[in-house]
Amino acid sequence: MTANESLALITETLNNNRKEITRRGGKYFILWGILLTFFSLLVYALWKSTGHSYWNNLWFAMPLVGYPLARMIRSKEESAVATNVVSRIISGIWTSFGVFACSLAAFTVLFTIVGDHPLAAIVVGASLTAEIVLLFGLAETISGVALRNWAIKIAGFVTGIGSVAIYFITGANEEQMFIFTLAGLVLVATGLIVKRQN
Amino acid sequence: MFPKLDPILHSELRLAVVSLLAGVESADFTYIKKQTGATAGNLSVQIEKLSTAGYITVEKGFKGKMPCTTCRITDAGLEAFRQYVAALKEYIS
Repeated sequence: MTANESLALITETLNNNRKEITRRGGKYFILWGILLTFFSLLVYALWKSTGHSYWNNLWFAMPLVGYPLARMIRSKEESAVATNVVSRIISGIWTSFGVFACSLAAFTVLFTIVGDHPLAAIVVGASLTAEIVLLFGLAETISGVALRNWAIKIAGFVTGIGSVAIYFITGANEEQMFIFTLAGLVLVATGLIVKRQN
Repeated sequence: MFPKLDPILHSELRLAVVSLLAGVESADFTYIKKQTGATAGNLSVQIEKLSTAGYITVEKGFKGKMPCTTCRITDAGLEAFRQYVAALKEYIS
């Protein structure tokens, strides 16, 4: 090999490798985006038809469905596995988001049951939808930073801040589920961008 | 006087393997095989040579019921790779 050929081989290998790992991450965005869209529409439909907001508890089923599906996709993904810094950061961001969102929801449910606790007024009084969607926007924006993609950064910012604004305009009713539908579609779009940008 | 190119790295497949591993935390055998387009037999031989040279570590384990070989670049491997690239740049310039 000449020096030029060696350098070309190194550059090509590094680039292909980075692209392959990033591309694989795209399918998880799509999976969670579809689930988020599906659950938001399901909760909306049930809430609207019965008039009861307790259908929001169905959200706890989303990780129960999502994580086994994600594991299934990973195990089917040949046996070929490689991780780099970007894939680890993206995975960390969304795992943290999931933990925060589930914890916030669990605290809200808990404090709704234990209504006379001094913290209950604060926790239940705060808007769970606005909090979660803001966290979502933050996670999406940081993902855009890690992936060096402006479309994802802007989508994260618009979804986070925009959805909070929409929430405070429309108020706490079943219509707020459309905010999560929007977030779900943003996730699907992010997955498609990640897959296509390479 | 040009610096001598590391003979361990100056082979197409071994260089591809080290370049690949330099950009990841770890990669399994199947992934490396797919990315380099090498045959399993040839890849095994070259991985063994890199491992013997102390440039990569090879860990054999199981993923579920399937055997899984995971490779990682070592500090020595990374340093050799850096020096190799620096030497190439000198050749070109």
